[in-house]
Amino acid sequence: MKRSLRIGTCLALFWRVLYGIVLCLFGEGLGAAPVTFNTALPVAQGEFVFRQLFVVNRAANDPGPVKRKVSGWASVSVLGYGVSPRWTVFGVLPVVGEKTLSRDTSTGRERRSAGGIGDLLLFSRYTLYQRDRPGGTFRIAPFLGVEAPTGQEDARDSQGRLPPDLQPGSGSWDGTAGVVISRQTLAYQIDAQLSYRFNSKANHFKAGDRVSLDASWQYRLWPRQLKGGLPGFLYGVLETNASHQWKNKISGHREPDSGGWRWFITPGFQYVTRRWVLEGVVQLPVLQNLNGQALEQDWIVRTGFRIAF
Amino acid sequence: MGLNLKVDVMKLGLLITLLAVVVGYSSVPHAAEYILSVDGLGCPFCAYGIEKRLRTLKGVQAVRVDIEKGQVVVVTRDPDRLTKDQLGAKVKEAGFTLRSLRLAPENEKVP
Repeated sequence: MKRSLRIGTCLALFWRVLYGIVLCLFGEGLGAAPVTFNTALPVAQGEFVFRQLFVVNRAANDPGPVKRKVSGWASVSVLGYGVSPRWTVFGVLPVVGEKTLSRDTSTGRERRSAGGIGDLLLFSRYTLYQRDRPGGTFRIAPFLGVEAPTGQEDARDSQGRLPPDLQPGSGSWDGTAGVVISRQTLAYQIDAQLSYRFNSKANHFKAGDRVSLDASWQYRLWPRQLKGGLPGFLYGVLETNASHQWKNKISGHREPDSGGWRWFITPGFQYVTRRWVLEGVVQLPVLQNLNGQALEQDWIVRTGFRIAF
Repeated sequence: MGLNLKVDVMKLGLLITLLAVVVGYSSVPHAAEYILSVDGLGCPFCAYGIEKRLRTLKGVQAVRVDIEKGQVVVVTRDPDRLTKDQLGAKVKEAGFTLRSLRLAPENEKVP
């Protein structure tokens, strides 16, 4: 009897995981939303949601001989407004605290860094399909965005203009489009996002376009049993972020040491109350199949809060 | 004679006060609770939007959400002026679906 119960539990778990994978394949969230992407967050009509995120990252796995290392931190502010029950607009403004590149040169270790306001991303999502049921919902929402060149794109140091990768802004008008699918219940939430980013040229440099497939699973760890009212929920978060970026172009020529495949696994947590959310994740690389001697990412930490007002 | 008149005036004053209290009480609208069954509520952060939208309705004194039951209790001091359409519209503005609505019987009221 106990054994058959165990088999039943295992089967239920298997189907739940399989269902999550299927959703991920076809397809970002709601209250307990994904941490690594913003598109899955619908906002009530006439209401605002503010999100502040802090990002710290390091890339030091250089396949080349100069032992490059890129590290830095940034704050990302997101403001969402519900135009209608289905239509939400967002503004995303990154501010680079510091981004530093160090590498070996013939005269010793060279260090170059920059910081400042980044490019403002404006995007909008529209819930095209919505099926609500007691304690849950299923939604499909396409989204479209444009990134304006508001950031500093001509940062310099004693050696002259910094390379494009170190500039807080790109100087170019870029676009993003995609679709996000969200399935939420009282116990868990699954979001999946497929997106494409179009980059344009500025200052003789064009970053490669990027296609991304992101998925997020948030599972309620506490309280295990709901006993009425509106308690805070503690979610365990597991996300996966896969992307392919095409090669950058410098003066029309493809840069051989750029672009490629990246796949991250992203565990974390989220504490959700009726007015605010605390969250944190760490993105760990599983696979990085990059072109030439492109620098591999070591880790990215994302932490912050959201508040509804 | 003078004493009797004083007692009569006191009685009349008491009667008028009592009458004023009764009339005053009957003209104060009685508080009532609507219980809304809302589909799509899955986490606490979602619930804030629905609370805020419902509070914009005139006469609404309090909004309480029971996430497990998917229920939203709306306390109003003016139940005659609050319609199902108004409540449904606010639920919709918050991005959810109103499945049903009923007036709470006295014994279901939460103190």
